[in-house]
Amino acid sequence: MKAARFVIIALLIWSLSPLAWQLYTSFCTDQALVTPFAPLEQRWTLAHYQSVLQSNPPFIRYLFNSLFAGAISTALTLLLAIPASYSLSKLGQRSALIIKCLLIGCALFPYVLLFLALLEIARYLQLGNSLIALAIPYAALSQPLAVLLLTNAFSDLPPELEDAARVEGLSVLQRFRWILLPLISPAIASTSILVFLFSWNEYPIALTWISDSNKLTLPVAMARIAGSSIHSVPYGPYAAATVIGSIPLILLVMVFQKPIVSGLTTGAVKG
Amino acid sequence: MPLLILLIPSLIFLIAVFALPLFRYVWLSFHADSVMTGLVAIPNQGANWQRFMQDARFWQDLLQTLRFAFVSVTAEVVLGLVIALILNQPLRKRALIRSSSLIPWALPTTVMALGWRWIFNTPYGPIDRLLQSGLGRSLNALGEPSIAWITTVYADIWKTTPFVALILLAGLQTIPTDLYEAAKLEGAGPWICLRRITIPLLLPYLGLALMFRLAQAFGVFDLVQVMTGGGPASSTESIALYAYWNALRFLDFGYSATIMIGSFAILSSLIVIAWLVITAVRNRSTGAFAK
Repeated sequence: MKAARFVIIALLIWSLSPLAWQLYTSFCTDQALVTPFAPLEQRWTLAHYQSVLQSNPPFIRYLFNSLFAGAISTALTLLLAIPASYSLSKLGQRSALIIKCLLIGCALFPYVLLFLALLEIARYLQLGNSLIALAIPYAALSQPLAVLLLTNAFSDLPPELEDAARVEGLSVLQRFRWILLPLISPAIASTSILVFLFSWNEYPIALTWISDSNKLTLPVAMARIAGSSIHSVPYGPYAAATVIGSIPLILLVMVFQKPIVSGLTTGAVKG
Repeated sequence: MPLLILLIPSLIFLIAVFALPLFRYVWLSFHADSVMTGLVAIPNQGANWQRFMQDARFWQDLLQTLRFAFVSVTAEVVLGLVIALILNQPLRKRALIRSSSLIPWALPTTVMALGWRWIFNTPYGPIDRLLQSGLGRSLNALGEPSIAWITTVYADIWKTTPFVALILLAGLQTIPTDLYEAAKLEGAGPWICLRRITIPLLLPYLGLALMFRLAQAFGVFDLVQVMTGGGPASSTESIALYAYWNALRFLDFGYSATIMIGSFAILSSLIVIAWLVITAVRNRSTGAFAK
């Protein structure tokens, strides 16, 4: 028990101390950052937050962009994956296994290697600089995870349930709406939150598809600050941006930790 | 077969995003397509592949990527397993542990990558400050080629270890406790239990975590691009980053495609080898378990 408590504390410190340092940095004046023993009245400032929130475009904009891209991608992913998983759960064992192996293969693929061809597609179809269009690659990249998770959920339902509903005269859509979807809603919740996290965090594709500074997603906006100059990164404003950018995700993780973990572990157990 | 129709939209998306690019890369890899050709593809009789085989920078980047992947994934799985084993008991602060383990994993890589640049900054970051006051010397954690790659490994371990521990913990909790009770009655100590019960039953999880993490680490891009930009002296450059430079900095699409399809072939063969090794180990240990 003692060892466990020690490990928990160590884990907390390990995970959270870099974030705590960013929080601390974000309130320090530039002066305080380079001279550790600056006089107290010159130590603390809100200037970094001001500069981040008042920049053009304001930082909050990127959060909304990421939120928007994440929401649309999640919706599109579910729209594609729910029917596909339903059909996969009804397929014969062998063909279902082949498709599952294919999906695992796709999930294993380091998708960053796809960026060049996806960029060509975006140019060809004029999809660049559109947050809505980003949902297309995101939904495709999320299919393996989403389909595997939802297929498990559908397969776990007793088949008698749907048979009974069919006997009662419910159409396919009615069965979906009133029987199947409510029963697999925990799996839908896990899938949605995982897909949303992926889209919110995705970097290489957003980096190559979006160049309009009003439409950048959060990860790209962050990296742009780094790219602005190799040697003098504005660490104070950057730390403030880290803090503002982290808060929504930290809240999200704290609220949804259960569906996240259950999604990840069923993925690991049955995938 | 109306059921199959429901699969089609999903499959179309998968094919468009995974299969099409691969075919396109194979095709592009036999063409010159760069600023020199006005970004028009012209067949070049395998010149890309000749260049690829002789490209010292690529092979060095490949070695660096493999080094990064093996060291970080091994550390993550070993540390994650140790943490999971210690935490595998009824715990009270479950929600707190979960959240704090998930936060590093859930944050965008680029966010903390720049955070690390500040934390490992020489001479103003906290790590360097500590070293200066403690050892009286500076580490130059991001400026020294022999050290910088370890710094990036550290950032990756920070992000993923708690997450791996969480997955393995979930795996541990599926192992029925009566197995351990039975083993105890037979007089087995904790070490035997670990080797004969825990590890064999956890192998599917370990294998999966290992394969997924290796594949991801092989494609490392965000972390390196933002944290070091591949430097110093290309010492942290990954193959994904090299392919990216070729496409968007040198505007040589043909060669960039060659790098990507070449890397894909190398990765696929590595995964097949890893899978064979894992199944061999699993067969051996379940054999031992049966005895």
